[in-house]
Amino acid sequence: MPEVARFVVGLRLPVGILISSDGPYSVVSRSMLCGALLGIEEARAEHPGVVLVPTVRNPAGELPRYVAEASAMLAAGIRHVVGCYTSSSRKEIIPLFEKADALLWYPSHYEGFESSGNVVYTGAVANQHLLPLVAYLLGRFGQGASCDTYCVGSNYIWAWENNRILREAMGPAGGRVLAERYFPVGCTEFGPVIEAVLAARPSFVFNTLIGESSYAFLRDLRAACVARGIDQPGLVPVASCTLSEPELDAVGPEAVDGHITSSVYFASLGGPENARFVAAYRARFPEGPAVCADAEATYLAVRLLARAVAGAGTTEINAVKRAAASGSIRAPQGEVRLDPETMHAALTPRIARSDASGRFVVLREAAGPVPADPYLIRNSSRFGAVDLRPVLRVA
Amino acid sequence: MTAPRLIQNFRGCRGVLWGGGDAEALGRALARLGLSLVRTDPAAPAEAGGARLDPDRDVVFLDADQALDPALLLPAGSTLPDAPVIGLVGVEAPSRLRLLAEAGATAMLRKPVQGALVYSALFLGVNTYRRLRSAETRLAAGDRKRRGRRLLIKAVVALVQARGLGDDAAYAELRRESMRRRLDLEAFCEALFAPGSPFPAAWPLDRPSDRSFDPVPHPRGDDPNAQDADAGRRDRGPDRADAAVDGAGRRPDQARRA
Repeated sequence: MPEVARFVVGLRLPVGILISSDGPYSVVSRSMLCGALLGIEEARAEHPGVVLVPTVRNPAGELPRYVAEASAMLAAGIRHVVGCYTSSSRKEIIPLFEKADALLWYPSHYEGFESSGNVVYTGAVANQHLLPLVAYLLGRFGQGASCDTYCVGSNYIWAWENNRILREAMGPAGGRVLAERYFPVGCTEFGPVIEAVLAARPSFVFNTLIGESSYAFLRDLRAACVARGIDQPGLVPVASCTLSEPELDAVGPEAVDGHITSSVYFASLGGPENARFVAAYRARFPEGPAVCADAEATYLAVRLLARAVAGAGTTEINAVKRAAASGSIRAPQGEVRLDPETMHAALTPRIARSDASGRFVVLREAAGPVPADPYLIRNSSRFGAVDLRPVLRVA
Repeated sequence: MTAPRLIQNFRGCRGVLWGGGDAEALGRALARLGLSLVRTDPAAPAEAGGARLDPDRDVVFLDADQALDPALLLPAGSTLPDAPVIGLVGVEAPSRLRLLAEAGATAMLRKPVQGALVYSALFLGVNTYRRLRSAETRLAAGDRKRRGRRLLIKAVVALVQARGLGDDAAYAELRRESMRRRLDLEAFCEALFAPGSPFPAAWPLDRPSDRSFDPVPHPRGDDPNAQDADAGRRDRGPDRADAAVDGAGRRPDQARRA
């Protein structure tokens, strides 16, 4: 039967890409942008009936620019936007999406406690990153002796909420939070708190600093330990749910190894799907930035969006949400499935440690995807912790 | 007395919707937080009347736009409802808001209900209600002590006269004996003057197991304070597995549900 040339009338899918290429967290968000662009190319190949028309905008990490760019996209009739890294930016623009009845595909891992009807969440929440980290660290440090931690974080919701969850998870297991110190976003002066950490000698440091703050802290902590002849990764290891491959480049070779990260994706994961994805990413972006969890989640969001629109046959958001939550997708990290009730993704938790070559070596991996519990209704006690507050100081 | 612990996970709780139109959005939002939702017909209040609401597990969502007597939610003699009340506000007029205030609402949501802020309303609504309830219990205990003052004075005076003790020593002995019996001091003194009591001729008693000074239990109807004591007791919830002293003078066979 001869091939008949025919017009394929595609379903036009205008999609906004609202990701910062400049600004305080551009090291990670540029990687997310690369993930989005790769996702668009692969989605076009996979769903030829869906005509993706991307509009890419760079809010440079500034909240008013997120609002302005999102408003412009929605005014232009765009109903699906992939974007945002920080919770501040997401919370700033959600009302716009609710008003326009549009859908924000939010790919970053975050602290949870949200489920807007106008957002699809493809990043990890606390029961997929922080709680597995606590379980791992208690197991590693908590035998017999008490497991102590010193919390260092950037002064906003990511640190506040994670420190609370950490405190409540460690308490019943006999762990202690020695102190919580908060620093303005962008701060790079950590001399006094490093002295305090070395004096306190916790089992581990829990790091919720973001961006430049985190890199400066890791460099300075390592330097201070080297000066005293202390094996920092061995004696005062730093653990986080954030530190990722492109950030290891930013930390620098002197302090790159021995850091523990809890995340659902690392570039070094096995499996044919990840091998294919990493190879495609590196071929497409040979200059970098390195692929990471938030890049994989952004790539995933684009692929899920295209697949859902193809399946629903429309860009109408309720139909797209229903289609997105049906079935699963084979992602580089493994099988991923959206929960139709919360529009959060079931993801596979892993724990890994950075090595001197800037890669993450996986130490522990969950057997399969863990459903998201954004409100921790299955993963927290009825009551909050009794008010035995540690030393809470804002620098 | 410390404030009650904050509840942050409402899984297993039950929402009770009084009035209101479309319950679907509220039901979905509550389901995401682990709660079920039932509707009550305000015209048939016996369904969700005082006897059936559990302050530890139920949360009432009260639609302010309906014609409703808020007293239906309040037990006799109290300004606090039987369970936390969250108001659903449509029209922001004083007559509607007054209904919510009188019903003891401690949080609110905007109508039409959407997912956002439901968790916050639960958090503030339930925890503020628990603090108010704890405060009511403390006030009731204070009232009880005030009422029992007269008999406490009588007992001190009786011991001073019958035993030649100083008043401080007399008070200390009364306190010690009441603590040995795990009784509220005022209730113990009331029992000392019950008919047939050997006090102050027979004093002190060496065996705390001697129950002759146990107060006669009040039938519930007589003493409104008994209900408030229960309210305080219910506040503890099933998570507090403590073998607390029963300060209201109940014997083990009269232990209330914790």
